[in-house]
Amino acid sequence: MPSVSSPAPRELDLSGCASEPIHTPGAIQPYGLLLVVNPRDLLVTARAIPPSLDDLDDPLDAPIDLAFGGVLRACQGTIAAISTDQSVYLGLFELSAHGLFHGLAHRHGDVLLIELEMSVSGEPASLEELYPTIRQFMLSLEKADSVEELCAMGAAQVSELTGFDRTLVYQFDAAWNGAVIAESRNDVLPSYMDLRFPESDIPAQARELYRKNRIRLIADSTYERVPLVRGPSANGHAPTDLSAATLRSVSPVHLQYMKNMGTGASMSVSLVHDGKLWGLISCHNEAPKQVPYHVRTTCEFIGQILALQIAQKERGAKVEERVSRRAAQMHLLGRMTGDGDFVEALKRDEDHLLALTRATGAAIIRREDCVLLGDCPSEEKVRELAQWISAKKDGGDTYDTDQLTTVWAEAGDIAGVASGLLAISISQLHDSYLIWFRPEVVRTVRWGGDPRKEPTDGTLSPRKSFEIWKETVRGRSIPWDDIDRDAAMELRVAIVDIVLRNAEELAEVNEQLVRTNKELEAFSYSVSHDLRAPFRHIVGYSELLTSSARDRLSETEQRFIDTIVESAKSAGTLVDDLLSFSQLGRSSLGKMNVAMNTLVDDVRMSLDMEHQGREVTWLVENLPTVRVDPAMMRQVWQNLIANALKFTRHARVTEIAIGHLQDEHENVFWIKDNGCGFDMRYVDKLFGVFQRLHHVEDFEGTGIGLANVHRIVTRHGGRVWAEGKPDVGATFYFSLPR
Amino acid sequence: MRDLRPILLVEDSPKDAELTLAALARCQLLNEVVHVRDGAEALDYLRSEGEFADTRHGGPVVVLLDLKLPKVNGLEVLEEVRKDERLRSTPIVMLTSSREEQDLLRSYKLGVNAFVVKPVDFKEFFEAIQGLGVFWGITNQPPPRAPEGERE
Repeated sequence: MPSVSSPAPRELDLSGCASEPIHTPGAIQPYGLLLVVNPRDLLVTARAIPPSLDDLDDPLDAPIDLAFGGVLRACQGTIAAISTDQSVYLGLFELSAHGLFHGLAHRHGDVLLIELEMSVSGEPASLEELYPTIRQFMLSLEKADSVEELCAMGAAQVSELTGFDRTLVYQFDAAWNGAVIAESRNDVLPSYMDLRFPESDIPAQARELYRKNRIRLIADSTYERVPLVRGPSANGHAPTDLSAATLRSVSPVHLQYMKNMGTGASMSVSLVHDGKLWGLISCHNEAPKQVPYHVRTTCEFIGQILALQIAQKERGAKVEERVSRRAAQMHLLGRMTGDGDFVEALKRDEDHLLALTRATGAAIIRREDCVLLGDCPSEEKVRELAQWISAKKDGGDTYDTDQLTTVWAEAGDIAGVASGLLAISISQLHDSYLIWFRPEVVRTVRWGGDPRKEPTDGTLSPRKSFEIWKETVRGRSIPWDDIDRDAAMELRVAIVDIVLRNAEELAEVNEQLVRTNKELEAFSYSVSHDLRAPFRHIVGYSELLTSSARDRLSETEQRFIDTIVESAKSAGTLVDDLLSFSQLGRSSLGKMNVAMNTLVDDVRMSLDMEHQGREVTWLVENLPTVRVDPAMMRQVWQNLIANALKFTRHARVTEIAIGHLQDEHENVFWIKDNGCGFDMRYVDKLFGVFQRLHHVEDFEGTGIGLANVHRIVTRHGGRVWAEGKPDVGATFYFSLPR
Repeated sequence: MRDLRPILLVEDSPKDAELTLAALARCQLLNEVVHVRDGAEALDYLRSEGEFADTRHGGPVVVLLDLKLPKVNGLEVLEEVRKDERLRSTPIVMLTSSREEQDLLRSYKLGVNAFVVKPVDFKEFFEAIQGLGVFWGITNQPPPRAPEGERE
């Protein structure tokens, strides 16, 4: 039996742990012996033999086939043939009175390591004996539904095979903190289930060894290191790399850690997938414990199967998740292509929009629009947030965080609904965003010891306390993963596509409009030239005829010619009116401040001349100054006042009043007469082109005047309307926005 | 003092030409009225080129120029005349059926002396033509032409 006394306490520096050369410890654990052999001449260049075996001949500098009475002679050929980075099981060897030893050979670079590891009484004689167990285990894994269940099965299987007091499955997170997700144990050691361990417990260098060496046993945490003694031929060489050796001595810090934890033996099986360390199966025993070689090999195998199954489960879960996101995405795309406006489309499909990124709220900010769906902060806060994102994003199209309150000082009290935020920019030109929110999830993390605690004396002590330390984590949401980000990005691509397509369609419509407008202009231009000419000719030639044949024409003949002239003239007026109406729609507005009273007086004067001899009582209120196109507004008054004068022709005393009303939105002008009025049943026809409510014989006109008024007022952003009663009078109103 | 140089009427429509000539005849002007039917002929006449190569005149007292013309339109004739050192000061009155503002604006930009929209009413038309005839034919003395332009 190796000595059980503690290793000489050394001053330990924890911070040095990460830089300690743990692959070249220059010593081994005492449950076997190690020979370092030169692969070229097969001479032993160094050896580590524990005190319990020191009655054996020292093989240093001897050829391997002569060591220990020549037990290795039979496999000398095998040893010589090992290629680099290969490990080979050599079989069982009997070393005189010390019993049977498992022989292992590893080649690493220029060094061959040969280990002879003590067998354990009652151990399985071969791997075959363990095969049924492995087979059973593999079959049972198929029934597992989740990663946690797989890990529980793995822990139970290793526990059964090895008999450790406590077997854990330990999973690393992105920051290499570990969490215990499965456990199988008896009552000797306390439960570590759900506990977290900080990254520093297994530093990078140790993780790298775990990744390379899939299994590791420390049979007795109080073991005495067996130093590696090098022969003269090894002088001047670099320290021997013992990474591959199962007997490799471990860091004193780790041994202290084990003792602090109350464990006398430990075994770790690495769970590696795609070259990455996913986690560990970690076994602890209160008392020292030797695990036979074949059992260890089986555990290593179980670890590999478990790692593969975990990877497959995780991949399957991811695929499933992506499929479900894809379904949400398809719904949204369907909506968006069916609807001209993507914001409207997304608004109508809140459920899928939230399901797309597993969010509980979403906000769409597009210029003045701000649409809030589900659980969101206030609109004001969302707008502030959009500005903050806009200022901070460095050219990227997405931004996400699972702790908004830590990164945004202004977050204030919105942590409840918006601890998590995932934003995509949806326009290159404007600060437009689609933002998803996740609520705060207050979690209680149970650490295996307080990870914040610094050793007070600055020396020794890895962790002394494994007291459970509860930390309440606030202001965090469930973090966003690649699936969330990808789904958001894909939606962004779709939106940008749709926005672009809409813009293109709009440009096309615009182009068509411009073309149509040009055609219309060309049309009315040629109408104005060519349509008027024939009427002019009719009138001209009729006049010529009249003047040359005046004496010969009867009264009736003269009346015929007069009618021809009259008809041609009125057709000419019609063309002119129609053209000016179409010009009203085309010419641009030249707005300036116009005093309405001046305009009204001006028009009144010009019309008064035509109506001399009529008694007209004018009542014109004070009218405001408004911002309008003066020429067009003049036409409005011209038409309205001329109408008032025209339709009051038969009144005994004509009364025309002009006035004004206003509210906060608009100025309303009105003109009221006591003329023949009109029937309100036909009020809708008043402002149509060529619509007349009176017979031409009674009142002349082409019926375009009020259509012009309507067009001009509408172009100024206002409205027109009228009230009337037959034989009582009419009031016309028009409004102009203020 | 009366200027008896001719009036040049540029008009492609025979009907408009006849009516215009009738109107001018009523004014009882002594000036000869030369009628050409498109812009190219008008420029030939003004420059004494082409079929007018042998014509000697001191340039018309006024050009009554229709806007819409075959080959070279009225605006182009106006532009050519204003660019030509020897013709530049020829008085030009644009006669047109068009009430289009753009034509009016372009004509004034190019330096037209007057712009008359031919009225449908013959009486108005007559008055307009008569006014022009009287203004340019009788009472108005056009600026003296540059010596090198004198071909008589």
